[in-house]
Amino acid sequence: MRRTLLVTAALAVALLTHQARAEDTLNPPHWQSEGSFGSYDKAALQRGFLVYQTVCASCHAAGELHYRDLDALGFDTAQIAAIASNVKLPTGPATADDRFKNPYPDPAAAAALFGGAIPPDLSTIVSARPNGTRYVYDLLIGYAPAPGDVTLLPSHYYNTAYPGQQIAMPPPLKDNQVSYADGTAATAAQEASDVAAFLTWASDPNLDARKEIGLRATLFLIFLAILAIATKRKIWRESV
Amino acid sequence: MAGSGTEALGHGGANAAGHAEAEGASKRDFLKILTIASGAVAAGAIAWPFIDALNPTREAEATARPIINIGGIAENTAMRVEWLGQPIYIRKLTAKQIADNQFVVPASLPDPADFSDRVKPGYDSFVVVVGLNTGIACELEGNSPSDPRGPFDGWLCPCDGSVYDPLGRLRSGPAPKNLVIPRFTFLNDTQIQLG
Amino acid sequence: MATPQAQTKPWLESRLPLGAAWRANVSHYQTARDQPYLATLPGLILGALIFLALSGAVLSLFYVAAEGSAFHSIQFIIRSVNFGWLVQSFHTTGTTMLFAAVYLLLFRAILGSSYKGQGDLVWFLELKLFIILLLTGWLGYVLADGATSYWSLHNAALAGARLGGFPGAIADWIFGGPAGPGTLARMAVFHVILALLLLAVIGAIIVAKRVVAPPVHRNPVAFHPYYTAQYFAAFVIFALIFAILVFFAPHLGENHLNLAAGNPLMVPALLTPPWYLLPIAAIGGVVPTTLGGVIAVIAGLAVLYALPWLDRSKPGASTGFLYKLLVFILALDVIALALAAAAPPSLVTAILIKLFIAWYFLHFLVLTPLTSATESK
Repeated sequence: MRRTLLVTAALAVALLTHQARAEDTLNPPHWQSEGSFGSYDKAALQRGFLVYQTVCASCHAAGELHYRDLDALGFDTAQIAAIASNVKLPTGPATADDRFKNPYPDPAAAAALFGGAIPPDLSTIVSARPNGTRYVYDLLIGYAPAPGDVTLLPSHYYNTAYPGQQIAMPPPLKDNQVSYADGTAATAAQEASDVAAFLTWASDPNLDARKEIGLRATLFLIFLAILAIATKRKIWRESV
Repeated sequence: MAGSGTEALGHGGANAAGHAEAEGASKRDFLKILTIASGAVAAGAIAWPFIDALNPTREAEATARPIINIGGIAENTAMRVEWLGQPIYIRKLTAKQIADNQFVVPASLPDPADFSDRVKPGYDSFVVVVGLNTGIACELEGNSPSDPRGPFDGWLCPCDGSVYDPLGRLRSGPAPKNLVIPRFTFLNDTQIQLG
Repeated sequence: MATPQAQTKPWLESRLPLGAAWRANVSHYQTARDQPYLATLPGLILGALIFLALSGAVLSLFYVAAEGSAFHSIQFIIRSVNFGWLVQSFHTTGTTMLFAAVYLLLFRAILGSSYKGQGDLVWFLELKLFIILLLTGWLGYVLADGATSYWSLHNAALAGARLGGFPGAIADWIFGGPAGPGTLARMAVFHVILALLLLAVIGAIIVAKRVVAPPVHRNPVAFHPYYTAQYFAAFVIFALIFAILVFFAPHLGENHLNLAAGNPLMVPALLTPPWYLLPIAAIGGVVPTTLGGVIAVIAGLAVLYALPWLDRSKPGASTGFLYKLLVFILALDVIALALAAAAPPSLVTAILIKLFIAWYFLHFLVLTPLTSATESK
């Protein structure tokens, strides 16, 4: 009984002092938010948001996000106000309480512009695909020349990661399309990794809280389970 | 032997010394108390999300504290927004209006107030007031330059004739007090947040 | 001598004898001595239902049951309501735990042939619980208004309307028409009504189980503190598994595609329902027509209802080794059926699904009578 408690305590100490890997890496592509103890790399999220605003937001909406939600990335109120006021909505500059801008007034306008291939809303894109983070990354860097036996549909491009391999979105990322404030080299792969991290946050903004509360809750419940079983056995040993 | 119900309630086994039994009893009590206490902690921890979910949501807090764009307000005009049911006037003052009102002696006013009490530091040209007369409750006129504004080029109450200056201070009339200034902050040069 | 009982009873006790009822039915209730942990399953199911009711109540404060707004309102709950993400996760993972407990309850009943003799009502009540739970689970699934939820509801309403005649009229009555606005609001109300019904059924099961409980002539013990301690431990273990799922695998058993908004203009590639609906969906889907699917589902449930007669062993006799082995194989068969139904459709999975369904019916209609008759002597 005492030994079980000691082992549990040692395990708890080990888990609680575990350091998550410090940041997202590119080779191999790994995101800090992956795994049971992961949390978001805020620097990568900020870089990803920059890529998103510069490249993706011109065609994609993310209607479930508000600009005020960006405080989770580490921006302060003034920075968010500035980011929002740079966005031109039909009713004037956006404020922090507005949703992310939808580039189209209605779905019909979007369909007309792209021949029916409407750019999907990116708010939940990472949750809505198996292994979503890796899927988004692979898709963004997966453009390749079509092999000989494949005839591309008109206005489509060959992409190794997209189901069916023929995607209507032109390759969106190039090297140095944005310049990162923290000095990270803005290669296409880095931009893809960062925007995948940002979209992961967009789909699951509560990941940090979930894993942190989860660790504490699980350890406490293991402790309580041992107590409860021990109590039950003690009580039953009293009876004949 | 075939025990009856009450016998089977079990008063700890037929153990040896009473000493050992007493020690066992106190150990069991400690364990039970610890278990029940931990169970209570767990119950409280589980209950908290249910309770907190009924607190105002982020959306409700945002609606309670809206952000207004003031960059587009032309000089000498006021913007009207509704907040918590009340009209809020945000006016941009001209240089002349500032000069005329900056050095008025507060004691000479019906409700003494200094220029610095009416505007936020660094943002001299913006006045934010609740656009309701402080006497007979009635919405004021004077937001657009073509409205009747009274002798001080501020606001005029059409109901009881009270006169306000461009800073919203009472100059004359049945009303007793200056216009109410709501709680607000400047987020930057073009946005204010009410509340 | 003035004993405490001779003085006036407490105020509440003299008007509503809850204390006496508690003592008679719970704390001092004589229970057999050797109940295993798994006997706490009905209590766990009741606890899970109450937990789902509470989390559902909080969710319904913010949920909007209208086509086009429902998904949006759930995103609002996840992003804007304090701990909304946690309450929503409680509700979805709680459903998974509840279904796991009910499947386990049914498995135990089949394994131990507890439907024999006096136990048949308990078995029928457990089946009722299972069927109502399947319906409630499906309704909750369509209320999520994700990509696959939307199409599940839409296909069901359309297929029902196309049935024609009396079944078609019933389907229109349930759904309010094949493409109606207001269908989702209706499904929300049905979800709550069926959930309340579930509470009543599990209560009936707990009471009925007492009648068929093992005889207490050998050294029974009072429920409190012996079984309160056991139930507490069982609840904590249940909560531990639940917590691991809520915090580290919140979308276990869900179709990923359902986490995008429902879109009338786009059908998702794979219309898989949540894991707990897979076996029944597979049985219903094996026949191409709607009416055939409905009949297949009814047949699949009817063999369960017929178990007290299909099982030819004598009441009270313990089941033999071969029968127990076959029941374990049945469990594996159902799991394999669910996995095959969840996989992307291909010729192989189509054949496997038919095979597994055939074994399911074979088990009940042929193997059970044979082995139970020969082994129970």
